[in-house]
Amino acid sequence: MNKRRPNPKQVPDPNEPLWRSTLRVAMPLNLSYIPIGLACGILLHAAGFNTLLTGLVSLLIFSGGAQFLIATMLTINSPLLSIVLMLFFLELRYALLSSSLSPYLKGQSNRFLFIFAVSLNDENYAINYLKFATDKKWTGKEALMVEHYSLLFWAVSNVIGSLIGSALKIDLGIVNFALTALFIYMIVMQIKNRLTIVICLISGVLAALCMMLTKSTLGLVISTLIASLIGFLLESTLRNRLPDSHWLWRLHSPGSKKSAVENTDN
Amino acid sequence: MSTVNTWTSTQHFWLIILGFFVAFVPRFLPLMLFTKRAIPEWFNEWMKYVPVSLFTALVVKDIFINSESYQFMFTKFSEMLAAIIVVFIAYRTRSMALSVVVGLIAVFLLSLVIA
Repeated sequence: MNKRRPNPKQVPDPNEPLWRSTLRVAMPLNLSYIPIGLACGILLHAAGFNTLLTGLVSLLIFSGGAQFLIATMLTINSPLLSIVLMLFFLELRYALLSSSLSPYLKGQSNRFLFIFAVSLNDENYAINYLKFATDKKWTGKEALMVEHYSLLFWAVSNVIGSLIGSALKIDLGIVNFALTALFIYMIVMQIKNRLTIVICLISGVLAALCMMLTKSTLGLVISTLIASLIGFLLESTLRNRLPDSHWLWRLHSPGSKKSAVENTDN
Repeated sequence: MSTVNTWTSTQHFWLIILGFFVAFVPRFLPLMLFTKRAIPEWFNEWMKYVPVSLFTALVVKDIFINSESYQFMFTKFSEMLAAIIVVFIAYRTRSMALSVVVGLIAVFLLSLVIA
């Protein structure tokens, strides 16, 4: 797999057409979308989505977490409002991603921002953020092409997954673990210091308590709000009172020195 | 995962449309606002903890909460062990696809052994 990685130090061929150079940047992400998209399509099929709607949801919502969540909540017969509310809180994190990209998209038209926002996603964000930060020639146009490549691979994998789901009988309990694994991966990627681990533990305990008390997924929403607020208050208190606290020390994982582009590839 | 959902395709369609809006607004509004003016610091600092809190809550729900009774359960041993393996793989490789694929294989093999 190492041979497929784009080498950031490699001098780009000035005659390479734009569609190829952006595809080269997007390819590691595109490939990693295939197994996850297939699993997601299988689950959506099991939740009752037909293949056409599976394609539509992949194009319009374009979020692995959200689509897995829809599939899971449909199979436990959650009401529409409850699903949409959960989706809202799940997707709220994009506010952070698009805020941090906004300095690089100053001066773009509202129409461009609209199209850009529709196909923004955790993983293509990671690629584009790094490219914007390190490559002066990287503009909104290239970033949008990376988004569209990943959208294409995601939607096609989902549709194929849906067709596989209708042709084969698959143990859904196991496929459903793909979502759990995806979330665990995203947690690990978010852990920057020891304080974050404390917040994870607080959030986990709160989530279990809130769900047992509310007997619904509303408990997730409540515990997320409380835990993130605790994290915010703890961090600002620590930074003000004990700026040298070891809770704020950065954690380094074996892969963290590599570029963010490689964070999302395989 | 055993109950079959009884929604029609029309209901699924409306779910997608509503889902589109709740997915689109948080992506679009900050881009719209902050390409024109500066981001308030407190908002960023607070939003920073939303993803970890939410993902942890969702993982706890998947592994420790019964999806029908919403009671705490400590029975999904193969999932618990597979989750630890996924943490290790994600930490070492930082690869999304590898984490998911190894997690799926682990839960499949462990469920054969533990049952």
